[in-house]
Amino acid sequence: MNPPPSSERKGISDLERVQRWMLSVISHPDGIDEGVEAGEARRWLDAGAGKLESVVTRSRQLSASERLAVYGNAYYARLLDCLGEVFPVLLRTLGEETFQGFAFSFLQSYPSRSYTLNELGRHFPAFLRETRPEAGDEEAGKWAEFPIDLAELEWAIYEVFDGPGLEGVGATEMPDFSAIPQDEWLSLRFRVAPSLRLLKFSWPVNAHYTAVRASSEGIDLPFPVQSSSWLALSRRDFIVRRYPLDEAQYELLQQFSLGSSLGDALEFLLEGELISPETLERELPRWFHEWASERCLFESIGWPEEMAAKIN
Amino acid sequence: MTTPRLGHPDLGFGLGLRTVHFDYILENEPAVDWFEIISENFMDSRGRPRHILDEIAARYPVVMHGVSLSIGSTDPLDRDYLRKLKKLSSAIGAQWVSDHLCWTGVASLNSHDLLPMLLTEQTLQHVAERVDEVQGVMERPFVFENPSTYAGFTGSTMSEWEFLNRLTEKTGCGLLLDVNNVYVSSVNHDYEPEDYLDEIAGDRVVQIHLAGHTDCETHIVDTHDRPVIDRVWELYRRTIERIGPVSTLLEWDAAIPPFPELHAEVLKAKSILAQDDEADEARRQLVETASPTSGGTAGEPVNPHPLHHSAALVD
Repeated sequence: MNPPPSSERKGISDLERVQRWMLSVISHPDGIDEGVEAGEARRWLDAGAGKLESVVTRSRQLSASERLAVYGNAYYARLLDCLGEVFPVLLRTLGEETFQGFAFSFLQSYPSRSYTLNELGRHFPAFLRETRPEAGDEEAGKWAEFPIDLAELEWAIYEVFDGPGLEGVGATEMPDFSAIPQDEWLSLRFRVAPSLRLLKFSWPVNAHYTAVRASSEGIDLPFPVQSSSWLALSRRDFIVRRYPLDEAQYELLQQFSLGSSLGDALEFLLEGELISPETLERELPRWFHEWASERCLFESIGWPEEMAAKIN
Repeated sequence: MTTPRLGHPDLGFGLGLRTVHFDYILENEPAVDWFEIISENFMDSRGRPRHILDEIAARYPVVMHGVSLSIGSTDPLDRDYLRKLKKLSSAIGAQWVSDHLCWTGVASLNSHDLLPMLLTEQTLQHVAERVDEVQGVMERPFVFENPSTYAGFTGSTMSEWEFLNRLTEKTGCGLLLDVNNVYVSSVNHDYEPEDYLDEIAGDRVVQIHLAGHTDCETHIVDTHDRPVIDRVWELYRRTIERIGPVSTLLEWDAAIPPFPELHAEVLKAKSILAQDDEADEARRQLVETASPTSGGTAGEPVNPHPLHHSAALVD
């Protein structure tokens, strides 16, 4: 071992020094030869400038640098491959080169700190947002929201797929509103399904997601026209389901997920002028009918005391 | 006196449970002796992967094989990870739980690779203490596999087989002997695989792994993407002759073939173990017709096998 002569670190074992050194070398974005010369590696072992084989053995066929490169190449290849599997539609939309450019930069900023690769993409949408073009470039700034929206959609799908769901619990029965006095049904509360995700986007990414999945590899799809969109995601029979919403539907479900009663949620919609009273009165029964028939948006529906009893 | 193979039975010939085969297995209930899962693909699942695993565990013996324990790291052991491992093991009645003699990261960073150990007395003591801690949490002996490695350290003072033999003596842990990994590492580190296989503590071997690899001419990479080569089958036969029958599993993690093809591959191991001439002839023919005489060669950059499961099911 060749500990750095000027910075011997007390309390650090040879094993830890070698591990910190090796990880910094194989994860260096410019490769092994740059990695061994970098300051981070030299903090732990002075193995640069031709001294690498005093730390890593060579084989009959490969130099120490070439042997470390097997690990270095695998490090990025594995993680880039994983991100491509979590964000397959974004990958096809951007093209492999552009996607991998973003992903490669992302891995410098957000290296994995979890025992599971399932967490690797968690911060990718936020990274795209953090590194989006400056607001001064209005056209680029507007376009930049598109991959961010798409990444948020794909990450939400990934989470819903393997997160908690209602499978095995049974379908939620919708109450017969006509049999309930109006002053009582306004106090109804809706506990949303644990798999429910409510998403709003500045681009129509759900329609784009559907179009890409329905098209063959290599087919260039037209870039969508910008428009706001709203979506509910949930899961039934272990398959992720997507429900396009309008703004009023999105806000109503959002109010339910925050614990508002039906009366308070409707008041929120009307005060915000998200929908007219007439349209709401006409549409609300149809919404509830559709949502209930999907059997994966609501875990339970009832009055506050009933909901509390179910929890207890 | 320790019980051979930690008292575990010979489960026969198993396969790695992979997402692409979920539906086939549930619909056809193939006559596979047992399945091995990648622990991390299921320990946090609250969706389809876990649902399928419960179904399969109700029908087949299941063994858990992890990739993230990082027993050799100098970071503290992840207690939360261990608790989840134990919980899953109890829930599905895992026959045993294994991982690798390696480290996957340090300073809270994870490479998601099985990185090579500095093999010294100091490391042995460090790893043995951690194995004791793991076995204390799990309340059962753990099983450790020899990984494929591509680099070694000048500071190492012992061979991997000596390290593993002494580790099992110190801690009572079991060994998962990956015969393909022995071969891969022997080529990459210029030693004879027979030296390794003849020295490893046979009575501590709970399980054997077999897999295909990619020959890059200057080195070999453990890709798990093709059939087992003849040389590895020979080493497997030699190992079984020395240590007796052991639960044997075929790993295949990339370019995964249809299930029946995979099943046929692991059944070669069964024929290898058959002692009569007829079975031996059948095995010879199988090997001649279906197995390459050497590892496939690399046409493009080659990386060790991936460690994660595939994407979500969406409407």
